[in-house]
Amino acid sequence: MSEMLKKYGEVVGFHAMDSLMVIADMLRGKKIVHVNSTKEGGGVAEILSSMVPLSKELGLDVSWEVIEGNPDFFACTKTLHNSLQGMPGGLPEQQIEAYVETNRTNAEKLRGVVEDADYVFIHDPQPAPLLGYFPKRKGKWIWRCHIDVSSPNRSVWRFVKKHVEGYDASIFSLPDFAQTLPHPQFLITPSIDPLSEKNIALPKSEVAKTYEELGIPMDKPVILQVSRFDRFKDPLGVIESFRIAREHVDIRLVLAGGGATDDPESGEVLARVQEAAAGDPDIHVLLLPADAHRTINALQSGADVVMQKSTKEGFGLTVTEGLWKKKPVIGGDVGGIRLQIINRFNGFRVRSPEGAAIRIRYLLTHKWKRERMGVNARQYVLENFLITGQLRRYLSLLVSLNSPDGEWERWI
Amino acid sequence: MKEHGTTLPFRFMECALLTLSTGVRAQSIRELRTALPQTPLSSIYYHFWGRMLRPHIAESEFNNDFASWADSGLGDIELAEALSAINPVACADLGEIRSILEDILDARLENGDFMSWKKSDREFYFIACTKMMFDTGREVSSLKDFPLAVKTASRQSFFHHFIDGRRRSPEGKDDFSLWLEQFGEETEPLRKSLRAIDSYLFSLGELKGQVVSLLEKNLHRRGK
Repeated sequence: MSEMLKKYGEVVGFHAMDSLMVIADMLRGKKIVHVNSTKEGGGVAEILSSMVPLSKELGLDVSWEVIEGNPDFFACTKTLHNSLQGMPGGLPEQQIEAYVETNRTNAEKLRGVVEDADYVFIHDPQPAPLLGYFPKRKGKWIWRCHIDVSSPNRSVWRFVKKHVEGYDASIFSLPDFAQTLPHPQFLITPSIDPLSEKNIALPKSEVAKTYEELGIPMDKPVILQVSRFDRFKDPLGVIESFRIAREHVDIRLVLAGGGATDDPESGEVLARVQEAAAGDPDIHVLLLPADAHRTINALQSGADVVMQKSTKEGFGLTVTEGLWKKKPVIGGDVGGIRLQIINRFNGFRVRSPEGAAIRIRYLLTHKWKRERMGVNARQYVLENFLITGQLRRYLSLLVSLNSPDGEWERWI
Repeated sequence: MKEHGTTLPFRFMECALLTLSTGVRAQSIRELRTALPQTPLSSIYYHFWGRMLRPHIAESEFNNDFASWADSGLGDIELAEALSAINPVACADLGEIRSILEDILDARLENGDFMSWKKSDREFYFIACTKMMFDTGREVSSLKDFPLAVKTASRQSFFHHFIDGRRRSPEGKDDFSLWLEQFGEETEPLRKSLRAIDSYLFSLGELKGQVVSLLEKNLHRRGK
């Protein structure tokens, strides 16, 4: 076992690594390609940053390709993203043209990599039309949807569906998100990497130093939300809940977000957040670079309560990160947050700023329960949401695609 | 004693449970009843056994997803209690479990009170699964080495042998107990203890801990 695999084994158990290696062995010699639209920023890029090296360490032939696009393309894919999460409206013709054209040019660039691959994972709607440019593809193509599409804008979904129904399989994070498609729809949750800069244990001194450098005094309990400045993450709702709670407990709020290169709307949302926080010395709004993983780690490690008050959420990896650091998390009662937070066990699911405020007060005034929930939180992530488990499920899926159809229970 | 010479080794298997959307969902008891006959049998398996391999906590009150949903989704505690009384291991096959589910739902619908048409704000999603099993090549032959071998098996391997083994065996016996039978009376107390473990009241990690502890207590004292 290599040094990297041993390090994972020390966290997840060597039996789990043995199990992963048994499945990886079945795919030795197969060419696997992942395609998405950004190298950094956002959950997909983070997962691939860990999954691809880990897969290679297991002896697999894996590569990661990123499609390139112009501002019109990313404006279109942001509209697609929002619409699939339910925002009304249609797609402007100019954006559709940019979407199709960008995929066409990227298809030519990627031809040598994906056409003869045994398995191709296409992540999210941005590169979904690529499939249409490879009628002679050799392998199985899987569309991986990371978005909460539980109640999409139907006209936009019909547009996306045209591009994804030809895939051999798709993957959604939750059954609520699955749609009517003519191929198997697998359910696999995302994960975090316990060995990444964002999730390794940091010394207390480094946590304190980071807070000091960011100008955040640790003189009172810190409530933290880390997320892109995106309307569905509801940063304004977080400020509202903070102000309600502050009438009862003396607290500080940190809203920390990075930008993703494929998200053109974040500037507008950030401006609204800064306006709402203006003049309040207890609210700290931080715009961090996309690679500020260690800083985010320190912020999460030093927080007393972590929030993710989303109104729509594909999965919510920041919830997973907070839980991993033994923090009870207050999250919106939506999407993948429902799977991660179990009320009173490792946090609270809420539906309003008022609901979030009462939970903030509860957690800050019940220290031993907060600590108990923190212990539960870490164990829950250890058993369910680490990268080794997600990779095992991906690899099992690939094995299943090449095994003959038949009984639901079968020997490989 | 058979341990030397003719002992059959215990061979560890792995399993992977892939979950799939069926597209079938229900919001009321009536919708649940209507959907049941058309859902694949693997869905019955998933909602009774597969839940052990997905995110869940040991404190879950009920032993299957139908009962949990009747309680938390519909607030119908009476139905939840009836559904949780199903002992899936005692059923001949998954089809029989489905028939029992249908009978319980029919009986509840015949009551005609408001619960029969009450809509839940959380839908029940029928989830199907594919269970793949494969040989790890790992074997253990001696009683002395058995506890460590089980301890170092993966969660999925433990699930396959201990939890799912009870379903596959006509007598409802787990794979470990079946293997231990070849050692005769010597392992009878251990097998009795293993049989007594209620696999529905603990998480997979807790169950593994209990089984390993029993194996260590009963087999380690054998020395070489």
